[in-house]
Amino acid sequence: MLSEFLVITIGAILVNNFVLSKFLGICPFLGVSKKLDTALGMSGAVIFVMTLASLVSSLINQFLLVPMKLQFLQTLVFIVVIASLVQLVEIMLQKLSAKLYDSLGIFLPLITTNCAVLGCVVLNAKSAPESIQSTWYGATIYGFCSALGFALALILFSSLREKLDLANVPEAFEGTAISLVTAGILAMAFLGFSGLV
Amino acid sequence: MSDKPRKFKGGVHPNDSKALSSRKAIKEAPLFDSYKVIMHQNIGAPPELVVKKGDTVKKGGLLAKAGGFMSVPLHAPTSGTIKAIDKVPGPTGISVPCIEITSDGEDEWGSPFEPISDWQTADPAELKQRIWDAGIVGMGGAGFPVHVKLSPPEGKTIDTLIINGAECEPYLTADHRLMLEQAEEVVLGVAILVRILGLKTGVIGVENNKPDAIEALNKVAGKYNITVQSLPVNYPQGAERQLIYSITGREVPVGKLPMDVNCVVQNVATAAAVTEAVLKGQPSIERVTTVTGKPLVDPGNWKLRIGTPISKTIELAGGITEQPAKLLLGGPMMGIAQSSLDVTVMKNTSGVLLIAQDEVSQYTSEPCIRCGRCVDCCPMQILPATISQAVENKRFDWAEKLNVMACIECGSCSYSCPSHRPLNQQFKRAKVEIRAGLRKKG
Amino acid sequence: MSIAVIAIIAVGVLGALLGIIIGIVAKVFAVETDERIERVGELLPGANCGGCGYAGCADFAKSVVSETATPDQCPVCSKEDVQAIADYLGIVAEEKEKKVALVRCSGDIPNTVRSLYNGVRDCRSAVLVAGGAKGCDYGCLGFGSCAEACPFGAIEIRKGLAVVHKELCVGCENCVAACPKELIVMVPEAATTHVYCNSPEKGAAKRKVCKTACIACRKCVKASGEEDHMEIDGFLIRTNYENAPGPELVEAAGCPTTALRVDTLHAEGAYEGVTK
Repeated sequence: MLSEFLVITIGAILVNNFVLSKFLGICPFLGVSKKLDTALGMSGAVIFVMTLASLVSSLINQFLLVPMKLQFLQTLVFIVVIASLVQLVEIMLQKLSAKLYDSLGIFLPLITTNCAVLGCVVLNAKSAPESIQSTWYGATIYGFCSALGFALALILFSSLREKLDLANVPEAFEGTAISLVTAGILAMAFLGFSGLV
Repeated sequence: MSDKPRKFKGGVHPNDSKALSSRKAIKEAPLFDSYKVIMHQNIGAPPELVVKKGDTVKKGGLLAKAGGFMSVPLHAPTSGTIKAIDKVPGPTGISVPCIEITSDGEDEWGSPFEPISDWQTADPAELKQRIWDAGIVGMGGAGFPVHVKLSPPEGKTIDTLIINGAECEPYLTADHRLMLEQAEEVVLGVAILVRILGLKTGVIGVENNKPDAIEALNKVAGKYNITVQSLPVNYPQGAERQLIYSITGREVPVGKLPMDVNCVVQNVATAAAVTEAVLKGQPSIERVTTVTGKPLVDPGNWKLRIGTPISKTIELAGGITEQPAKLLLGGPMMGIAQSSLDVTVMKNTSGVLLIAQDEVSQYTSEPCIRCGRCVDCCPMQILPATISQAVENKRFDWAEKLNVMACIECGSCSYSCPSHRPLNQQFKRAKVEIRAGLRKKG
Repeated sequence: MSIAVIAIIAVGVLGALLGIIIGIVAKVFAVETDERIERVGELLPGANCGGCGYAGCADFAKSVVSETATPDQCPVCSKEDVQAIADYLGIVAEEKEKKVALVRCSGDIPNTVRSLYNGVRDCRSAVLVAGGAKGCDYGCLGFGSCAEACPFGAIEIRKGLAVVHKELCVGCENCVAACPKELIVMVPEAATTHVYCNSPEKGAAKRKVCKTACIACRKCVKASGEEDHMEIDGFLIRTNYENAPGPELVEAAGCPTTALRVDTLHAEGAYEGVTK
């Protein structure tokens, strides 16, 4: 049991990294990675939302959708749940930490449509191993670890981009182009983890 | 003190080109018609003028008195009349005030003070006062008032006096010749400084490419209980922090002074000037300067008075054989390029260097190729390549985080860079901006 | 019950529940915002040049609304913009004379003595080496630190000299702080005729290094006659901006070094140095 969760943890963070091997959540990955500070804030928000969304939607899935044979509503319900959760986080953040709210700016509502969050929840409900699909804690751990993987990728990439700011980049590659090239190289580096579990 | 000095990390070995002038004995420069003495020759407050246009002065007479503790007086290089209080191009390229003296040809001596012949029994405070009155500043380059270094603030003790005879700058041989020809004066000066600081001994550090100077010093050093330490050849051996490390093994922390590790460092030329001030009662009005470079007919070492125009020193050296590309005051590594021949010799002018067209690299700088040579040779062990990229992007906060303030501006990084990046200049810029930022913050 | 009805009820109940929770949380965590700040921010130029002394337009808008700043402190806003903000907030706008930047130097490469310099191409770095390798200690170095600092593209570097295009200048003063030689001053937009020299040296010393320096011959002072158009400042003449002369003075004075220029013609590059 414990070893299984260890495998889930390592798998979710390194091997099946949401950004770098599943290519989910590319938008915030490129958008909020210019500065390490905002990347850290975004990572925190994503970890919070993704863990909570996994928990809530797993509960809804197990106790509402599956018994009532409403699995065909999964995607629809999950989107509603995630959107409400993000709305909640946004309202609370504005009150509790105005500075973080300012720095996250328009990217906070973007979590609503962050396919990493929806992807994680849908994976939990549909194609994950039995231990994740059928237990709420399995789903939560998977959601949390996936979010950690997302945070790791985002923080690594933003640190790279801060350094990249100082480099002499050929004119044709300036800006987004070199960012994408760097992201590609980072993804290739993460391929090295495949086969770890 | 071990016989084998430590080797500091980093450093470079440029072609020293000292052979041009190292065998030329020091010659006395003739009396010139006029001298333009630059007013502000020391680090710290400028002195206050005490003469006016039309006054007559004697050689050694007071021109300006110290304008505070961090300031030294200025004396006349010869007898004559004050022609004007004018402006000349200063060594940094900006015009600075100067006192122009027309020589009367008599060169009549009129020193403001008497020799102190019994220095071994004299009050150290009196000796220190004499050094201040004589207007002696660090003659190695910085021009730091010597009496200030000799007055450690409350709570700081000095246990080591180091005399810098490394002369690691290529081309320059003024200190070398001084140690060779006036070894006794240098050692006597050290002994006087030792007495002022209340120590038992002092160390003279000399790079081992000057064996004759080490031998000459050793002959007299024993008499005054002074040690001579031979040092490996490695630029910047003569930089304060590197010299202290080589001799004592102590590292001066960034932003601290040698006195924070209980050391005082003085130049050999300063020591010789101390002897002259104390034993002969002569203020600091002349110094040994190397006038050298490939374009000169007869490079050599001259005893020049302060205020001598650089154009005259080039005449002394026989003029030029080819049009030089650059004129530097000081050595090629840390010297400052000049745009005018009207610049005059100051108390800290250790060399006048002409560089031929074919010796100057006129490359344009190219992007960093991350070879790491600058990192290898940086004696302060900072990361010149990364800092220069930060400065290029005007990210002075990054530069500060990367410890650019530790840079001693020795130029080793610029020398070693295969992309010819103006690293040293960028660090100077970063330091200026960071200091300005700190001032703004208060 | 058919599956369709169950689905509708389930999703409906879930939606209502979440809606109620959000509603309650929004009430509990409500943050009061002043919509006026946003509105004033929209009326400001949004260039975030910092000319007002605040950290960007949003910060300035906040200060204007809280009445610690007045709208006319924005140097970029036109009179109408300032009026619009004042009308919106219901306060009285103060009249302010618009100022533009002036680079007080005419020493471009053909007209000045310069040493060979191949260090960092940036004025603030260049002054660290021999004061910028220009014969004149006070003149424009022409590496474009001011042009780089200008968010509005109003400064052009032409032949190693910074030239202000007055029509683009909004008066944010970013260039004033960027110039290491303190050459740039703010002058009234209405003034057209300026002395393009800032060297306090004697005339002969200036002529040695620059063909277009002001040598203080006072022809322009004489040409303005009774009118107090020009001021004498040591070995330098300056325009008296309290009573600025018109462009006809340039013609009348016949400045021997062309240091006295009409700004629009200078920006077009109409003047050349005079060789003796």
